[in-house]
Amino acid sequence: MAVRLPEGNLQDRLERYLGKFRDHHELEEEEIEGNVVRVAVKPEDVPAVLTTAREALNILHLSFITVVDREGSFDLTYELLDLRGGIVKVKTAIEGEEPVIESVARIYPTANWHEREAYDMFGIAFRGHPDLRRPYMWQDHFDHHPLLKSFEISTKRTFEGLR
Amino acid sequence: MLQEERRHRTETITLSGRESERLSRPDIRDEFGLETMDMNMGPQHPSMHGLLRLILELDGETVVRCDPVMGYLHRCQEKIAENRMYPSVIPLTDRLDYFANMHNEHGYCLAVEDLMDIEIPPRAEYIRVLMCELMRLASHIPSVGFLLLELGAFTPILYGFRERERIQNIFEAVTGARMMFHYIRIGGVKADLPEDMPEKIWNYVEDLEKTFKRDFIDLIEGNEIFISRTRGVGKMSQEKAVEMGLTGPPLRCTGVDFDVRRDYPYSIYPELDFDVVTDEAGDVEASYRVRIKECYQSIRIIKQVLEKMPEGAVMADLGRRLRPPEGEGFGRVEGPRGEFAVHVVSDGSDIPYRVHYRDPSFVNMQLLQEIVPGHYLPDIMPIMGLVDPVSGGWDK
Repeated sequence: MAVRLPEGNLQDRLERYLGKFRDHHELEEEEIEGNVVRVAVKPEDVPAVLTTAREALNILHLSFITVVDREGSFDLTYELLDLRGGIVKVKTAIEGEEPVIESVARIYPTANWHEREAYDMFGIAFRGHPDLRRPYMWQDHFDHHPLLKSFEISTKRTFEGLR
Repeated sequence: MLQEERRHRTETITLSGRESERLSRPDIRDEFGLETMDMNMGPQHPSMHGLLRLILELDGETVVRCDPVMGYLHRCQEKIAENRMYPSVIPLTDRLDYFANMHNEHGYCLAVEDLMDIEIPPRAEYIRVLMCELMRLASHIPSVGFLLLELGAFTPILYGFRERERIQNIFEAVTGARMMFHYIRIGGVKADLPEDMPEKIWNYVEDLEKTFKRDFIDLIEGNEIFISRTRGVGKMSQEKAVEMGLTGPPLRCTGVDFDVRRDYPYSIYPELDFDVVTDEAGDVEASYRVRIKECYQSIRIIKQVLEKMPEGAVMADLGRRLRPPEGEGFGRVEGPRGEFAVHVVSDGSDIPYRVHYRDPSFVNMQLLQEIVPGHYLPDIMPIMGLVDPVSGGWDK
């Protein structure tokens, strides 16, 4: 069994990706810039959009999940590569102090550790994740999430003085 | 239909690392009612790649469950980066994957340059690629040595480190440091190559090309012990490799030809002529072959770069303080271990709002909990040689 990688013209392929997303899902924003298809969706639509990408469009590789703390909301970027020049960025924003989003580890198994990392660093709960433990911080005795903007490091003042 | 497929995937996903699962599986007990044994491997294990702890569940000598525990070298680099100015993050990236420092610097600088729309001088691009390919040699050659060391052969690691030492001498002459370079800067590179350096590098790679077969390939390939310890060990299908998000040699050894340098070209790679090395077997031996062949490709790239290198400045004029506009920048490079990506988010000030690293060591290591179960305990180390993770990389 061999993995089938996409072929053909890159621009046509990107148009096809965006068309498929547009047909099946409600997109808040959409654009094609260079080799990147950028779509913004509601957080509850993320698993469905990624399922379309994985199953219908055969985009095989989830590169990473970036979380950005916007103080009050969290921006999530799921970066998907089709391994032949095309990039799909699925963006979403979750509101609230205790953010929850559906896990995509069942669609892209590689998301397992990316989500664990995001949980460790930001405290985002991924619903339905198979194994949501903290990869870096102490599981039982560390109650903070270090990449939150509200978590201040002790040397911060020093750097501010220098600037 | 999609929904159904999703449900199917849910059922087939492996739930590794779950205590409850073990208790609910009575079949692990053998006919004498003996249970499996838990064993701790690392973090201070002589043949472990850095500070990694594996919790192993053994049935006799067969591994039933493997659960990597990370965090022993965690410095929360992403948080430190949020409190420093843009150029001061570069020395931190050196400390990520310390066998691929140049690639880390390159990835971060590409991300900031993408954010700020900087054009960098052509000579700087050539020097960057030259340094990155030397770095790839300095990573792949000891990697092969490490693999053999774990199988009990001591000589290849000495030969490997001899070559790495010679490359580090080149780095020392060019950058002033042997490991933590801080050489690739936003907008170019720190300094031009010393006058005689292109010739020295050329002589070195010529020499390496001649002696490589004698010192590594003839020594290792065909050795009965090497074959019996690596052939068929850690075997994985292409689907599994792609599913686990592998990149770099562990992906290419299964036959999926994906290389960031060719498929998501950056810097001057589109102008260079090189092959993406793949292998069909998808086991430890195949990953060894891929690494050896990639060394030849790196030598080929280095020679082309030295031939084509233009004259001119090595640094764009950016002014003293960098204030990128609000927005996002992405950088993606092919490191020795796979795709290294950086995502920088700016809020318009002179410190990054968020820096995110996608390190190949971190992602590739997920493979351990998938393919180690079913293997014998001594096979773990060759499989670590296949994945070849670096402690600084998976722990950030």
